[in-house]
Amino acid sequence: MHWKPSGSPPPAPVKIVIAGGFGVGKTTAVGAISEIAPLRTDSAMTSLAATVDSRAGVPDKTTTTVALDFGCITIDETLRLYLFGTPGQDRFGFMWDDIAVGALGALVIVDTRRMADSYPAVDYFEHIGLPYVVGINLFHGVAAPDPGQVRWALTIADDVPVIAFDARDRYSVRDALVVVLRHTRARAINGVQRN
Amino acid sequence: MLRPYLLTSGRVDASLEIEAQVVATEQGRASYHHLTFERRDIVVLCHAAMSVAEVAARLQYQIGVARVLIADLAASGDVLIRRPDAAPALDVAMIERVIRALEAIR
Repeated sequence: MHWKPSGSPPPAPVKIVIAGGFGVGKTTAVGAISEIAPLRTDSAMTSLAATVDSRAGVPDKTTTTVALDFGCITIDETLRLYLFGTPGQDRFGFMWDDIAVGALGALVIVDTRRMADSYPAVDYFEHIGLPYVVGINLFHGVAAPDPGQVRWALTIADDVPVIAFDARDRYSVRDALVVVLRHTRARAINGVQRN
Repeated sequence: MLRPYLLTSGRVDASLEIEAQVVATEQGRASYHHLTFERRDIVVLCHAAMSVAEVAARLQYQIGVARVLIADLAASGDVLIRRPDAAPALDVAMIERVIRALEAIR
């Protein structure tokens, strides 16, 4: 069959994950830099939902949906960068694979008043071997905390960058994403093995 | 409420990446009026390339539903899918392109 796209070929997609606890500033960060207004879509527990649908009449309590926030940045005509926010709650970790597999890296946003909320994201990225950077959100106007304390509290390796940034500020978010990409680049060059 | 998976006859295709790009083909644009309404909406929406996630958000489908519908449309030649490259985190030249583009944001 002969067909061709209606315009220029679609750009190659790449993505960065924006992770962290509930209400930590993920959607704010995506919105600060995205070309499109942050979009929200629902993802279901697909395998379970399909199973349930084959049994008519079973209450659909397992068709829980979870909102996924994202935005995008055009790099050039052939490349488009997506930012995907992980769902805030741990119990939605099941869909993190969808978001994280094939990503360039991740920014884990931390609120220093609720440090423990960041543990699941840090654990997950360590587990799958995805390069990540910890970004302390100064959104709440607190004094910049000591990155060393955050590093200690999260028990992360010395080579994982810890930065402070403002999720509301376009340039601050841009700089945080650049740190993520430089970290990924360094790991690629150094040939760090992924799990 | 229409149960989402009725739209896809209960089929689930989890393989299509949420960032994969979808764009209507000439065939799709010429014949979309023959498609069922939910498939037609996708072809009309994708006159410019957008991600699977974006299609789902704009048409208010669950991601899993959008995946199956888009996979069907690709199989029938009505849309073209551009999937992500393998192992982009190891592609240093591409990562540097992204860094330069971000640094150019003003």
